[in-house]
Amino acid sequence: MKLNLYEDKNTSNEHVDVYYTNMRPVIRQIIDMVNSERPSLQGRPADEDLDDGEEILLDPREIYYLDHIDRKLFAYTKNGVFRLMNTLASCEEMLWNYGFVRVSKSNLINIYKIKQLKPDLNMKVYASFDNGERICINRSYKKSFNEYLQRMRRMS
Amino acid sequence: MTGKFKEYVLEVCCVFTLMSVIGAVVNIIAGTETNNINVLVMFATCAIATFVLFLHKLFDSVSPLVMIIVQYLVACALVGLMLWLISMFISPITPKGWFEFYRSFTIPYIFLAGFYYYRVFSETKKQDKLIQEIKENNKAESV
Repeated sequence: MKLNLYEDKNTSNEHVDVYYTNMRPVIRQIIDMVNSERPSLQGRPADEDLDDGEEILLDPREIYYLDHIDRKLFAYTKNGVFRLMNTLASCEEMLWNYGFVRVSKSNLINIYKIKQLKPDLNMKVYASFDNGERICINRSYKKSFNEYLQRMRRMS
Repeated sequence: MTGKFKEYVLEVCCVFTLMSVIGAVVNIIAGTETNNINVLVMFATCAIATFVLFLHKLFDSVSPLVMIIVQYLVACALVGLMLWLISMFISPITPKGWFEFYRSFTIPYIFLAGFYYYRVFSETKKQDKLIQEIKENNKAESV
């Protein structure tokens, strides 16, 4: 994508014009950024107490997947596991444009981080990530997962 | 529960109608005739097959392979019960009759299970290709 920057010391009306062919995720991400609505998740290292750990801003692009265990939400990244205070449903809505899709009752995965999608001999389908971990794609979510992929391909 | 039961009855009706029409066409072509008992057995078989397929929602957490095996065993048990009831109250069934009936539902079951197995693998391959394509496009956009 071509980027033009114009510096005008006299302007009082700073603005951004976006010319696009179709409304795809990357355009929506730019809009979010301009509107200051770019989602960033606040998390604390999972191995520390909630009150002690330093809060870290997580970029959705760095997250492999989100896991909801015992009413707690965890984000798995290359640098470790972080506990989030959001709900899985709110993350699903917020991160829709960032490649996150629900694959089971407790997992939201980032399709951009999937290394390979492969079925086991017992017919369970797993998404393998760069960090070597695997997440099972539940049969009940197979259809919506496929629809999401089709939609993302059409928009990309 | 009532909703599920209604859904089940509706599915049984659809399956039985379809099987009856196919059976009638086969009878016309082959010049054979069926009898009332055969129609009732066909209805019971349709009800069992639909019930067994309905069970798949209960096996969400287990692998499809386990689900297929459990469904087959449940189908075997229900068919056994049906044949036993027929032999007790309608007419005796010879061992060959039992064997023939089991064979006639095992063969299509294995065939369909194999087809399902193949579809899981081919669909996953397609989805994997799709993911790689989306990733490539996203990389190109980011550069």
